[in-house]
Amino acid sequence: MSTRPAADRFALLAAAGEVADGTLLLETTVARLLGLVVPAFADVATLDSISPDGELRRLGSRVDAPRRREELEAALLRRRPLPDAPVGLPRAIVSAQSQLLPNVSDEELRMIASSQEDFELLRALELRSALFVPLRARGRTVGALALGVGTSGRSYDEDDLRYAEILSGHLALALDNATLAQTVTGLERRLEATLTNLAEAVIVREADGEIVFANSAAARLLNLGSVRDVTAATPQELMDLYHVFDEAGGSLTLADLPSSRAALGEDPEPLLVRNVDRATGAERWLLHKATPLFDADGSLSLIVSVVEDLTEVKRAELAQRLLAEAGQELSSSLEYGQTLQRVAQLTVPRLADWCGVVMREGDGLRQIAMAHAGPDREFETAAAEVIRTGRAQLTAEVIVVPLAIADQPPIGALSLAMAESGRTFADGDLALAAELGRRAAIAVENARLYTERSEIAMTLQQSLLPPDLPEIPGFRLAGMYRAAGEHNDVGGDFYDAFEVPGGWMVIVGDVAGRGAEAAALTSLSRYTFRTAGKLVGDPIAALEQLNGALRELPRLSLVSVCCVMLRVAGGDASADLVLAGHPPAYHVCRGSSHAVGVFAPFLGAYERAGWEATTIKLEPGDQLVLYTDGVIDTVGQAERFGEERLAQTLRDASGATDAVRRIEHALVSFAHGSQVDDTAVIAVERWPGGPAAGGSPARGAPARSTTTCT
Amino acid sequence: MLETRRGRDDAVVSVQGDIDLTTFGAVQSALDAARVGVTVLVLDLRAVEFMDTSGLRLVITEQQRAAANGYRFVVVRGSGKVQRLFEIAGFPGGDPLFGDVSTGTAGG
Repeated sequence: MSTRPAADRFALLAAAGEVADGTLLLETTVARLLGLVVPAFADVATLDSISPDGELRRLGSRVDAPRRREELEAALLRRRPLPDAPVGLPRAIVSAQSQLLPNVSDEELRMIASSQEDFELLRALELRSALFVPLRARGRTVGALALGVGTSGRSYDEDDLRYAEILSGHLALALDNATLAQTVTGLERRLEATLTNLAEAVIVREADGEIVFANSAAARLLNLGSVRDVTAATPQELMDLYHVFDEAGGSLTLADLPSSRAALGEDPEPLLVRNVDRATGAERWLLHKATPLFDADGSLSLIVSVVEDLTEVKRAELAQRLLAEAGQELSSSLEYGQTLQRVAQLTVPRLADWCGVVMREGDGLRQIAMAHAGPDREFETAAAEVIRTGRAQLTAEVIVVPLAIADQPPIGALSLAMAESGRTFADGDLALAAELGRRAAIAVENARLYTERSEIAMTLQQSLLPPDLPEIPGFRLAGMYRAAGEHNDVGGDFYDAFEVPGGWMVIVGDVAGRGAEAAALTSLSRYTFRTAGKLVGDPIAALEQLNGALRELPRLSLVSVCCVMLRVAGGDASADLVLAGHPPAYHVCRGSSHAVGVFAPFLGAYERAGWEATTIKLEPGDQLVLYTDGVIDTVGQAERFGEERLAQTLRDASGATDAVRRIEHALVSFAHGSQVDDTAVIAVERWPGGPAAGGSPARGAPARSTTTCT
Repeated sequence: MLETRRGRDDAVVSVQGDIDLTTFGAVQSALDAARVGVTVLVLDLRAVEFMDTSGLRLVITEQQRAAANGYRFVVVRGSGKVQRLFEIAGFPGGDPLFGDVSTGTAGG
C-alpha cells in the first residue's frame, strides 16, 4: 500500500484531528472515524473502547463490501474478540503494541476465531493483511482499532503499521474526548431530569436576566400554565403578576429579591415573601434563595433561583400564632370590650383587611370591636343572620363566624373581610376564624363568670376581716391587710381583735393555700379562736381549742398564729404573747425593736404541742407589732425582705399607726414584681391617755417568760 | 430544680432554689413519686436558697404521713434562713426530723 500518495494520508490525519475536538457525540465520532478509515486506508475496520477496568466494548464496524456489507457489519459489531488469542486485537491491547499480519492465513484466523461460526465470518471478509492498533490517549489505552484489507487487492506492510500508529494517536484522542463528552452530557441530562422533577421551583437565568431554564414546579408556583410561559417572560414581567410583600407586610420590588441581588454577584440570604396573585387574589408564602454561578474566569454566568412553597407551613404558623396571641389577649383582662378590640387588631392585616365584632345586646346588636386598614364596611346584616342561625358564612372576600360556645346560642359574630389588598380567603381561614370566634365567646363568658365570682370572693374576704379594729381601752391599734391577688383568690391571712374576760385578745394568723378551701379554714380558725377566747379568756387555752378543732378535720390543716392577750392592771399594761408556727412579733420601745415570742409548732400539726406564752410589759408608747410572713417573704430585687429589715423598719416607729405606715412604705419600695402572698399587720400601742382601762390581773396558764424593754 | 435519686429501698429528693407558693407543688409531686415503696425518704434542702411556710407545711405533712405509713422521713438541713423557718415552726436544729443525706443507704 506504499503506493498510496502521502497527501491522502495527511488529509486523513487532519480529518481525524478535526473529529477529535470533542464536540461530537460518541456515536457520531465513531461513525466519522470509521468512515475516514474505510475505504481510504482499509476495507474492513472495527473500533472498540476499553473501560478503565479493561472491558472491551465494540463501538462500530465498517466493511467495504457492496453485497454483504450490512450483514458483515452487523456480525462484526456483535463479535466479541477471544480474550486469550495469541494474535489479533486482545494481544495488541495487552502488549500495548500494534500488530501487523501481512499475509493472513487460515491458521491465524483459527487462532483469532472463538468458534467455527466466527471463523466463517472472518473468512468471509477475505482478508489479505490485518493491522491491530491499541488506541492510547492521556496515558492509558482507551480503545483499539482493527483494520483489514483484501477485497480491494491491497495489503499492509511495515510502513502502513507506522502510519496506523500515528493515525491511532488522533483516533484515540477523538474517541476519548467523545467518551468524556458523553459522560458530561449524561450528567447534564441527569441534572436536568432532577431539576425538572424537583418539588422546589428552580429558575435559571443568564447574567443579563434572560430565563434559560425553569422546571414545572416553577410554573406551578407562579400560577403559570407551562414552563414555556416562565422562560418566555422577563423577571420583571413575572414580578408584575403579583403583589409581593415581606414578612412584615412591606412591599417588595424585583430588586429586593435574592435573584436580583445574586445578579449583582452577591451571595444573598434567603428571603421569605408573600405573593398575592394580582389576577386571582390567591396568596402564597415563598422562600426565595438564589446563588450566582461564576465562570472559570470569574465572570457571572448564571443565577440559580430556588423557590420553596411554604404557604401551608406559614399559614399553620400564622394561625397558631394568631390563636396564641388572641388567647393571651382574651385571658389578660376582664374588660372584654377592650380585649375583643385587641383581638380584632391582631387579625388585621395578617388574616384579613377588616375585622369587626358585634354582640347581642337586648334585642339588638352592638358593634363592640372594629379594626381595619381601609374604609369602614358594614356587615351587620350578615352578622345578624349568622347570630340567628349559628352558621358561619364564607365568600372569597368575607367570612362571618358566630361567637358561640359549643351548642349554645351565639352571643355575637366576628366578621372578616378582604378589601384593598386584593387577597382572597384561603382554605383553612374559615376554620381559623371559627376557632377565634369560639375562643372569644369562651373569654366573654369567662369574664362574666369571673366578675361574678370575684364579687363573691370579695364579699367573703371582707367577712373574714373585722369590719373595723375596735377601740381598746389603754391601747391604740392600727392594721393593714393586703391580699395578694387583685381579684378572685380569697387569701389565707386573717386578723381579729376582741374583748375577753380579763382583757383583750389580738390575733394574726395564716392558713395554707388559697381559694375556697383556704377561705373556709380561715373562717373556721377565726371564729373558733374568737369563741374559745371569749369562753376561756386565755390565749394558750384558746389555741388548744382551735388545735383540737383543726385536728378533727379530715385533712391535715395547718394554721400559724401569733396572738396576744392584753391586760391592764393598776396602770401597768402587759401582753401575753403566744406563737404557733409563726415568726416572732416585735416589741418596739425607746428607739429599738426586739423579736418576742417562743417558737412552737403549727396549730393542727400535733395532738399536743407545748405552746408557751411570753409576757411583755408595755410602757406608754411601747408597741407590739404582729404580722404574717407575707411581710418578711416579700420578694425584692435580690433577696427577701426578712426579719432583720423588718426590725430596722420598726425601730423608730413612733406609734401604732406609724409602725404600720413604715412597714407599708418599706414593702412598697422594696418589692420587686407583683405581691405573691397575703400580707397582714397589726400594731398595738400602749396609750394610757385613752379611755379608762379596765381588766384584772393575769389568770389561766402561767406565762413562762417575761420581757421588758430594758 | 428537683432531683430524685433512688436506692434499693430509699429515695433522696434534692431541691435547688426556692420553695414557696409557686414551687412547692412541684416538690410535693416529687415526694409523692419518690415515697412509693421506700422505707426511708430523704428531703435534701442543702441547696435551697429560700423556703416559706408552704415548704414547712410540706415537711410536716410528709412527717405525719411517714408516721402513719411506717417509713422514715428525714430532712437534710438547709441554709441558715431555711433552718430559721424550721426553728419558728418548733423544730430546733437537734430535732430528730433532721439527718444527713446518707441516712437512706446507711439506715435503710
